[in-house]
Amino acid sequence: MTAATGSPDDGGLPVIGGRPAPGARAAAAASGAGGWVARCEDAVLVAALALATVVPLIDALGRPLGGFHIPGSALYVQQLTLWLAFVGGLAATRLGAHLTLSTSQLFPEGSLARRAARLAALSVAAAVVAVLAYASAVLVAGSRQEGHVLPGGLPEWVSECVMPVALGLMALRFAWGAGESWRGRAVAVAAVGLAFACGAVPGHAGALVWPLALLVVAAALLGAPVFVGMGGLALVLFFADGTPVAGVSAEVYRLIASPTLPAIPLLTAAGYVLAESGASSRLVRFFRALFGGMPGGMAVMVAAVCALFTTFTGGSGVTIIALGGLVYPMLREDGYPEGFSLGLVTAAGSLGLLFPPSLPVVLYSVVASSSQQLSVPAESLYLAGLVPGLLLVVLVALYGIHVGRKAATREAEPFSWREVARSLWAAKWELLLPVFVIVLFASGVASMVETAAAACAYAVIVECFVAGDIPLRRLPGVLLRASALMGAVLLLLSVAMGLTGYLVVAQIPDLVLSWVKIHIHSQMVFLLALNVLLLVLGSVLEIYSAIIILAPLVAPIGVAFGVDPIHLGVIFLANLELGFLFPPVGLNLFLSSSRFGQPLPRLYRHVLPFLAILGVGVLLITYLPSMSLGILKLFGR
Amino acid sequence: AAGAGPAAAQQPVVIKMATLVPEGSSWHLIIKEMADKWKTVSGGRVVVRLYAGGVAGDDADVVRKMHLGTLNAGVLTEVGLAEIDRSVLALSVPLMFSSYDEVDYALEKMRSGLEAKMAAKGFVTLAWLDGGWSHIFAQKPVAVPDDLKPLKLYTPSGDPGAVEVYKAAGFNPVPLPTTELSTALQTGLVSAVQIPPQVAVITQYYTHAKYMTDLNWLLLLGATVIDKATWEKIPADVRPALLEAARDAGRRLRADVRQNGESAVEAMKKRGLVVVPVDARARELWRRAVENAYPRVRAQVVPSDAFDEALRHRDEFRKRSPGAARGQ
Ligand code: NA
Ligand code: NA
Repeated sequence: MTAATGSPDDGGLPVIGGRPAPGARAAAAASGAGGWVARCEDAVLVAALALATVVPLIDALGRPLGGFHIPGSALYVQQLTLWLAFVGGLAATRLGAHLTLSTSQLFPEGSLARRAARLAALSVAAAVVAVLAYASAVLVAGSRQEGHVLPGGLPEWVSECVMPVALGLMALRFAWGAGESWRGRAVAVAAVGLAFACGAVPGHAGALVWPLALLVVAAALLGAPVFVGMGGLALVLFFADGTPVAGVSAEVYRLIASPTLPAIPLLTAAGYVLAESGASSRLVRFFRALFGGMPGGMAVMVAAVCALFTTFTGGSGVTIIALGGLVYPMLREDGYPEGFSLGLVTAAGSLGLLFPPSLPVVLYSVVASSSQQLSVPAESLYLAGLVPGLLLVVLVALYGIHVGRKAATREAEPFSWREVARSLWAAKWELLLPVFVIVLFASGVASMVETAAAACAYAVIVECFVAGDIPLRRLPGVLLRASALMGAVLLLLSVAMGLTGYLVVAQIPDLVLSWVKIHIHSQMVFLLALNVLLLVLGSVLEIYSAIIILAPLVAPIGVAFGVDPIHLGVIFLANLELGFLFPPVGLNLFLSSSRFGQPLPRLYRHVLPFLAILGVGVLLITYLPSMSLGILKLFGR
Repeated sequence: AAGAGPAAAQQPVVIKMATLVPEGSSWHLIIKEMADKWKTVSGGRVVVRLYAGGVAGDDADVVRKMHLGTLNAGVLTEVGLAEIDRSVLALSVPLMFSSYDEVDYALEKMRSGLEAKMAAKGFVTLAWLDGGWSHIFAQKPVAVPDDLKPLKLYTPSGDPGAVEVYKAAGFNPVPLPTTELSTALQTGLVSAVQIPPQVAVITQYYTHAKYMTDLNWLLLLGATVIDKATWEKIPADVRPALLEAARDAGRRLRADVRQNGESAVEAMKKRGLVVVPVDARARELWRRAVENAYPRVRAQVVPSDAFDEALRHRDEFRKRSPGAARGQ
């Protein structure tokens, strides 16, 4: 399995290792035929990212200056995010940046088997994406009926047309890449036709479900992008349920247009700009000066910085995308083994979920308190989560020290205050970024999206103008590559939301939990079952849906088993933190695989020690309630 | 569809119904009982799948999904109803009404007109309900309009028109998505919010905004709606019983709000809520501040014909029962 990267002549994506996706070359050839489409894409992406950064900043800056703001700016930023996701996804198709399980590389280059695998995979991809395009078109038609108009007079549906148009072009790109001759491409077109024919024949959904689902999974295994697999599965399940497949695009839209989501691409862009500048070497120098004499110092730093970062990215997986490229080279340069470094960066990507101002904590509090009998205030959760959260960070750091001792990490250098001061001065702007972000957010000066926009602007200003690492003419290229990766990630997250949408429609979580209620009778067993359930569902579901769906159901059962509601909240969130790493589909694994161009099975092996260590941590948190509740008692709550 | 005849008659009509009302709350219980009743009174020919607590999305998502056919019905707040037709907002203009009786009177007069507008958009309104009076919850005591002006007043980001109205009236609106409200109250990005007491308890917002102004700011209106195509799929002989069950649930919701609104305030008081009194002079200041903004509300937020109609019915009611107008 390989996360695909761009071909070298595109400049590619700054990921380590990896190979072009099957068909990337053919797709590039296709874009050569319509080169102007590609140029339009690039221009649109860079413009959308720039606008998505500037618009929230104007709001934040205008607020203290007499409340000046752009009317309806949040609506515009939502639309911009929609454009970033779909045009970014289209660019990712062209640059081969979609996450794929490219087992087809098992077959020799140019062999018949390999061409057949590509033909099959990309034909199904074309079919799935074409149906998604149709579902989006239905969504846009509905939106046109609703008749919303953005301030300034632009109808929302006009802007939303980017969904079906980009998906349609994406389907064309897949169809084009399916074969090198027109015969192969005709097969892909036939697949698209067949998919629509399935939908047009009523009453056979039941019989078609299994063959279609198997086809989609097989295509993903043969090298179709993972988002095609997940999206295809969602479409098939909605179809089987007798619910219009437009439901999938409604879920996609719900996620992409959700008001806090723009923070993800903005923080990603900030991380990318930093990653492409000399920031990482400046930070390496500083931390080497600081921890150089201490074995495992770098690993400790990585755990701490990632935890810090996750508190304001809220476990959306952004930490890996934004920081991974920064700290991974530092670890490697410092002499840590590749496997450990990958595992650490992957695992550390969700540490810190329990610390303020982490959004999942707030969301849990709101959702769990929604029953009249329960009260789970967020600040109590933050307080109770302090020791457990620290425990998880410390456990990872200790393991880091252990590995740092064993592996011959860089020779200990004599500690020098002079070098510390110098390197601190050199890296001052980068080191100030997290401080800047936390102060901006925690002081109530800016909202989540505004803070993310400020971080993005800060990174650009520092690296382009202050440090001068990125000449202005190179900036669009950097933003473009960041946008392609963002598009790939946003598409993946949004089709996952489509699957979640199906789970909700079919009321699967209710069924699971009613089973638990019937079959479990002791607190110990309940907690253990909860650990397992949350681990598995936490890895399958996106964290916000996991909280939204599970918290209101789990919280009352927990009370019935005599578990303190605050303690239950800490267990819940700590478990979800672990769920990010849980094979086969934990979000951190996907993001890390994509960011570092590593096959998923290799990552499974690398995160195993961390999974074990954090698992022990979560068990301690679960069965030692005093760790959570002790500090509350200290504060007299 | 040719061979669908008798088999389809056996198949129950599955109604996917969504609401923001939180799972396990007393409101949820009432809606659930209505759903169960639909099954029993229809003899199993109608089955409701209820999605509570916003799992199917916020009200805008629910309306979108009803348009697409992935959901069929919803117990919506005025935010969702306004997604269908904005006229309903006429009944939620701040300080236009001062008692349940006034709103009830205006709603009764406007009901058929509002329902016709919803029907034209493909929605059948089954029952009207409300979540109680929204009050100002703030981080500093707010007794008069000038107390509110320096505070950062939360306004939903989806309604730019309302933001402009608040600004023009000298307030300091902070348009934010609902999902960010809780954090924003904690960080101080928002320092005042308008919500009914029961919602304040459910969301715990009051722990970060513990001064409640004793002023009926506006009534949080809602309705149970179903899309027309689904409604017409239900056998005609069953529909009246379903309608009655929905109306009964609406009545019970209203009764719950009217009975438990007070006890919610009492419960919050025990945990540190301070109720800021509003005397007659202050009430007059509020009235003037808000009524000065009415022309803008009428132009930018509420369709002007609906606005005028609501105001006319209110004045009519006040003329008919002059004693009631001052009452709380
Ligand atoms: Na939305
Ligand atoms: Na509660």
